[in-house]
Amino acid sequence: MGSQLALKSRIRSTESLEKIFNAQEMIASSHIAKARDVALNAKPYTDAIFDAVQALVAHTHITHPIAVKDESNPRVAVLALTSDRGMAGPYTSSIIRETESLLARLEADGKQPELFVYGRRGSTYYKYRNRDVAATWEGDTDQPGVEIAETISNTLMDAYMKPAEKGGVSELYIVYTEFINMVVQKVRVLRMLPVEIVGNEAKVPDPENEKAAEDISPLYAFEPSLDEVLDAILPKYIQSRIHECLLTAAASETASRQNAMHTATDNARNLIDALTRRLNASRQASITQELTEIIGSADALNTKEE
Amino acid sequence: MADSVKTTMKVNIVAADHPVWHGEASSVTIPASEGGMGILPDHEPVLTVIKQGTLTVVEPDGDRHMFEVTDGFISFDSNKLTVAVERGHDVQYSGVEA
Repeated sequence: MGSQLALKSRIRSTESLEKIFNAQEMIASSHIAKARDVALNAKPYTDAIFDAVQALVAHTHITHPIAVKDESNPRVAVLALTSDRGMAGPYTSSIIRETESLLARLEADGKQPELFVYGRRGSTYYKYRNRDVAATWEGDTDQPGVEIAETISNTLMDAYMKPAEKGGVSELYIVYTEFINMVVQKVRVLRMLPVEIVGNEAKVPDPENEKAAEDISPLYAFEPSLDEVLDAILPKYIQSRIHECLLTAAASETASRQNAMHTATDNARNLIDALTRRLNASRQASITQELTEIIGSADALNTKEE
Repeated sequence: MADSVKTTMKVNIVAADHPVWHGEASSVTIPASEGGMGILPDHEPVLTVIKQGTLTVVEPDGDRHMFEVTDGFISFDSNKLTVAVERGHDVQYSGVEA
């Protein structure tokens, strides 16, 4: 009987866990629609900035510090995008694993990586291990707004624009999770700074095509001056790229949480089934045993009377 | 509209987290960093920084659209004006609702 009570209470607690997992799964699936909307709303801005940067590159040879790398400074910044809350399966742990291997790789190259972390899970991981973290941000990892993107990019831009002797960094890497689809999310390492502007690159080295390239994209007038436009636009470009990374990471986090919770719900149901079977078997066993005892004792009584 | 002299241009205003407005306009006034700047259709390609201020769009039928914008830039080419700002919202619409 004791084991039956224990089984019953295990079934009950698994049932309530199952309800929690199921609710979490539904919350995650409703958030995904929202995350997709936010990403779609931010896209026109990112596209506009991207076009402007493309236009800048088409006509100028950028020597702005944002695009030119200072090879002599060994300090580099690494930004890891983790989640605020758990229950997202391997989301945070795979980011941390990738970050660790990136840090090891950078150190092997003779660089001095500085770590920046977004997300409570990541920051507690490093705090618990007493690791040096340059800065951490927390909150809203599943729906990052413009404000947090601005804060992060300002901090990183400051670190990047500072001269090397004052603790500036020469490169910036971002470790984030790319949203491929609902089932597949991939951890990626992106070198954000110095800016590598791709796109028109193929046309640039070919002098015969230069004329054609000029025809395609119009010659811009820059107001007030090219340098000031660069000063204004490149930080925005960085910020919108960071925001884009945050949004993709948020979508991945939500998808990852939904998958994890779906699996957890399934597991809980399987466990309940198995436990119920064991409970039934043990109840049947105890009934059989009681019957055997009754029949046995009745038999004994009958034998005596005879 | 495909006449030799264009009378309208395409305008697209986007803020960092949402598209604000897009449509046709006959002129646009922007708060450029060096002072107000008016843009008419077929302006030469230009890329300029804007500061905080009010951006006014005049639609082909004379309606005026005002937007409060902060910190961004505009680019104009092939008769298409793109305004990208950090934050922007509609402040006033004077004219007949379409």
